Amino acid sequence: MDVKTLTKLTKWMESTDLEEITWRNGADKISLKLNNNPEHNHTIASTMEPVLSPSIGLFRFARPGKTGHLKEGAAVKNGQELGVVEVGKDFKSITAPSNGLLKIISIEEGKPVEYGQPLFFIEPR
Amino acid sequence: MFKKVLIANRGEIAVRVIRTLRELNVPSVAVYSEADRSSLHVRLADEAVCIGPAMAKESYLSIPAIISAAKVTGADAVHPGYGFLSENADFSAACRDNGITFIGPSPKSIQQLGHKSEARKMAVKAGVPVTPGTKDCVNKKDAKKEAEKIGFPLMIKAAAGGGGKGIRIVREASQLEKEMTMASSEAQAAFGNGEVYFEKYIELPRHIEVQFARDTHGNVIAFPERDCSIQRRHQKLVEETPSPAVDKKLRAKLEKAAVDLAEAANYVGVGTVEFLLTQQGEFYFMEVNTRLQVEHPVTECVTGFDLVREQLLAASGEKLTYTGGHTVPLTGHSIEHRINAEDFSRNFAPSVGRVEEWILPGGPGLRVDTHVYGGYQLPIYYDSMLAKLIVWAHTREMAVERSRRALAEFTVKGVKTTIDAHQLIVESEGFKAGTTDTGFMERLLAPAEPVKA
Repeated sequence: MDVKTLTKLTKWMESTDLEEITWRNGADKISLKLNNNPEHNHTIASTMEPVLSPSIGLFRFARPGKTGHLKEGAAVKNGQELGVVEVGKDFKSITAPSNGLLKIISIEEGKPVEYGQPLFFIEPR
Repeated sequence: MFKKVLIANRGEIAVRVIRTLRELNVPSVAVYSEADRSSLHVRLADEAVCIGPAMAKESYLSIPAIISAAKVTGADAVHPGYGFLSENADFSAACRDNGITFIGPSPKSIQQLGHKSEARKMAVKAGVPVTPGTKDCVNKKDAKKEAEKIGFPLMIKAAAGGGGKGIRIVREASQLEKEMTMASSEAQAAFGNGEVYFEKYIELPRHIEVQFARDTHGNVIAFPERDCSIQRRHQKLVEETPSPAVDKKLRAKLEKAAVDLAEAANYVGVGTVEFLLTQQGEFYFMEVNTRLQVEHPVTECVTGFDLVREQLLAASGEKLTYTGGHTVPLTGHSIEHRINAEDFSRNFAPSVGRVEEWILPGGPGLRVDTHVYGGYQLPIYYDSMLAKLIVWAHTREMAVERSRRALAEFTVKGVKTTIDAHQLIVESEGFKAGTTDTGFMERLLAPAEPVKA
């Protein structure tokens, strides 16, 4: 089978519900299988940006003596402090990577966090 | 015993520590950098936390990150492994200040024995022989007199030095003045301090070390010596125990020196005293390693002890498993081969990539300590060790044969390894005869003399 025929056959296959075909012609045999791996076919489209923990430690919405008022749906500004990670006596700032809406808060006050753990998801705008 | 132990390390040693913890039914916590997410220690531990990015400075060397990881996971002790923070007095102190037990000696012991000049003083105090040399810096006026006291050949070393800089070897008296001027100006240029001192130069010594363990009750054990003479650029390649150059009488002296030093320093935990052994059978104190060593398995193979278990016992205030005396019997012979991801044919250049095939040797008298598996992607950020192949047998001759057989079975594809180099070592007459010294590798790798037609 030449490349031209193969291309035609593949195109045709995509237009049908077929997932796999085997075609025989004398000693020649060809099997075609569509790549239906969900990873390849359906990429989950998301424009949301994750905000990752800068360190291992305990998550706080605010530095000691202050209270945080962060709510889902709130507008955040690029560089705004969203919370801190308590590492010993140190507090590592977690800042918004862009202007946008705070869509998801995936962490609770005082919970342990790992380095690189997603804490917030922001919809940039 | 501890409730939960965090291992502040990676690679094969983290796997090694987890194994003993599992036998003791102590839950383990692995810490890992972003580059080690798929490493074996992460899979084997009961819990694992990511402590930072790939760069060791921000993960495995970050004291706040590791202390924080211990607190977050509720670990009451930290095992530092070797390398990274294992000999860091600040880390040992940070653990103590946070109510976490550091599985290793106290900050004071690390300071006393981890710094060369302090350790030397401690050795002198304990009556352990040190390399003959001037205690203080030598000025030009006294140079000749001091040199004659030590004898030639001698080394001129920079007082502020390190890393081999400012070291000059003087073979005869007539060269002394010239070499001293050069050493002093080199030291001035490199360290901003031209002061130098003299030390006896030991030609082609063996590197001999004695492992010891001491608990808080004062029980101390010195284990039979290890011979680590096969080195390349000060990196050990092959270690064995017992040393072919040490007889019972010398062993007793070496073990006594280690016991005396451990007691003088009031040391708690496991440690190793390193000595230089001359061709004439004299030994001199070199330094102390205040941690578990890479080559500890050979000692385990010939004595039946689990040194990580002894570390855990000592650190938790319990007694060592053996309290019947300062020495333990030795059975057979053990050899360790460090298998690194290095290209032997290209002057040991680091090799990176994915381990496509990984077939370990097996059968009688073998142990492989490794964190590698088929499909493992080598991170480029850390040391190149892939595995430690350890063999043991009744005699040295049988152990060498076993090494040869095991190295031939060991199959690695995808990355270059030092297996070839080890095969060359075990096939060499020098190694078979046991007549090795620290110049062995250099001679083995030297290009062969051209054959005259």
